[in-house]
Amino acid sequence: MDYKELRLLEMLNQLSLSDAQKSEMLEFFEKRESDLAILNELDTESVERMVHVMPISTVVREDIASQPFDRDELQRGAPNAELGYWCVPRVVD
Amino acid sequence: MKYEVVIGLEVHVELSTKSKIFCSCSAEFGAGPNEHVCPACCGMPGMLPVVNKRVVDLGMTAGMMLNCHINRTTTFDKKSYYYPDLPCAYQTTQWFAPVAVNGYVEIDTPSGKKKVRIKQIHMEEDAGKLVHDIAPDTTHVDFNRTSVPLIEIVSQPDLSSADEVIAYLERLHSLLRFARVSDCRWEQGSMRCDVNLSVRPEGSTKLGVRTEIKNMNSLTAIARAIEYETARHIDAIENGTEVLVQETRRWDDAKGKSFSMRTKETAGDYRYFPDPNIMPIVIDDAWFDEINASLPEFPEVKRERYITELGLSEYDADQITSSRALCDCFEDAYSVCGKAKDCANWIISEVMSILNSKKMTFDMLTLDGKALGALINLVCDGTVGRANGKKVLLAMFDDASIDPKKYAEENGFIVSNDTSLVESVVKKVCDSDPQTVADIRGGRDKAIMALFGRCMKELRGNCDPQVLRKALMDYING
Repeated sequence: MDYKELRLLEMLNQLSLSDAQKSEMLEFFEKRESDLAILNELDTESVERMVHVMPISTVVREDIASQPFDRDELQRGAPNAELGYWCVPRVVD
Repeated sequence: MKYEVVIGLEVHVELSTKSKIFCSCSAEFGAGPNEHVCPACCGMPGMLPVVNKRVVDLGMTAGMMLNCHINRTTTFDKKSYYYPDLPCAYQTTQWFAPVAVNGYVEIDTPSGKKKVRIKQIHMEEDAGKLVHDIAPDTTHVDFNRTSVPLIEIVSQPDLSSADEVIAYLERLHSLLRFARVSDCRWEQGSMRCDVNLSVRPEGSTKLGVRTEIKNMNSLTAIARAIEYETARHIDAIENGTEVLVQETRRWDDAKGKSFSMRTKETAGDYRYFPDPNIMPIVIDDAWFDEINASLPEFPEVKRERYITELGLSEYDADQITSSRALCDCFEDAYSVCGKAKDCANWIISEVMSILNSKKMTFDMLTLDGKALGALINLVCDGTVGRANGKKVLLAMFDDASIDPKKYAEENGFIVSNDTSLVESVVKKVCDSDPQTVADIRGGRDKAIMALFGRCMKELRGNCDPQVLRKALMDYING
């Protein structure tokens, strides 16, 4: 982890760190990276990937479309809606 | 210096389901704004997703059709980005354990077969639609498309020309439609692709700067965009006309140019993390075997079988294998009448013609193939004339429950074996046109067709053409 990567993380997480906090975080990540380097020495080739801590699987539903939800009811709390659309300040990608 | 282009594709395909991926709203295209929405797909607080099993079925089917390994435990993850078309501010997709990985498809190139590797196929939800042209300062948001199920097929960068890209996309289109994974309609956006492209000196192993052209939905536009982008990269490398940067670009087909949209995001920007609301999907042996057993015969295998085993011409086999629905209809008809060539002729000439006149695609065909086989038998054994057979077929399109023989009987389409009736009609028609009869007697053999047509009309098409021809010749020569 270098200073540039830390800045990116800071921005993505909408944080504002002081210089002291940045140094502390860099030290923290450096330590974690060395811990991971030790773990990486283990041969995990034949170990099945753990996707969940509990041996459970999701329920699924059949592909049946239900009656439409009441649109007006759904838009009742919207700050701005017209012509069946939700309205937001103009955005153009 | 010679250059080579390196292309990888991300193809989004909307799945053929009735309902959305995580809620039971309709996934149908074409409704009014926000008519197919509910608190779950609108991202209301507290709403939990429930996975549509059919989506997993189709994800597995696509994986198997593209020779992938199916991950028997597959998971959903959250991909964070904030934009008004995504009400949760994250997209539920697959990052850590996609449903299918490490596959390939083969395409034909001028230098022979080429294997294009598939990195992964993942299931995900689509985003909503933004409308910018209703009011000047407002964007209108339609969430009908939100949570409509997609698969994204990610290829390795194995493609090296626009022609190869088109061949690859056509192959995907054919396989996915054959397996009924999707209707793959480019014009409706149910198939669209992002093109990742870079250019490097020929023979180099180091990849050049990569740009991504987003949301392409026509093969012609894709080919043009690749040609343009390749030339732009080479120009930048050779002449320094601009500095190439890794970025996302938009193709403007009217202007024939690509334009920068934004610098390219990397995976870290999206902060992927496992979706805590959806437990892992475990595909057991029974589920896997059920999907595996449901896979269709590949179109090229069918084509070969139709030619070698059933004696169809290459043209006929190509036409029929262009659609799974046509193949099913053909095979059902053949199973009843056993006349492969006649079945092919009826499908290619009559069935396709009716579909075209009704502005239906081949995949929309719902005609009962076994009933078509019965009709072909009636025409081939002379019970119903060909012209009346077409009328029966047209009625069968409108009412799938029609029994061809019963319908022919009820509508007077059964060919008469009453020779005295045929002879009386021949006499009537010939006596009303002595000049034509004289012409035929004088050697104008072709003139007999005029009398033949009038007799057939009098008989309402219900006569064996051979019987009528003989009766005419006997009368004229006798």
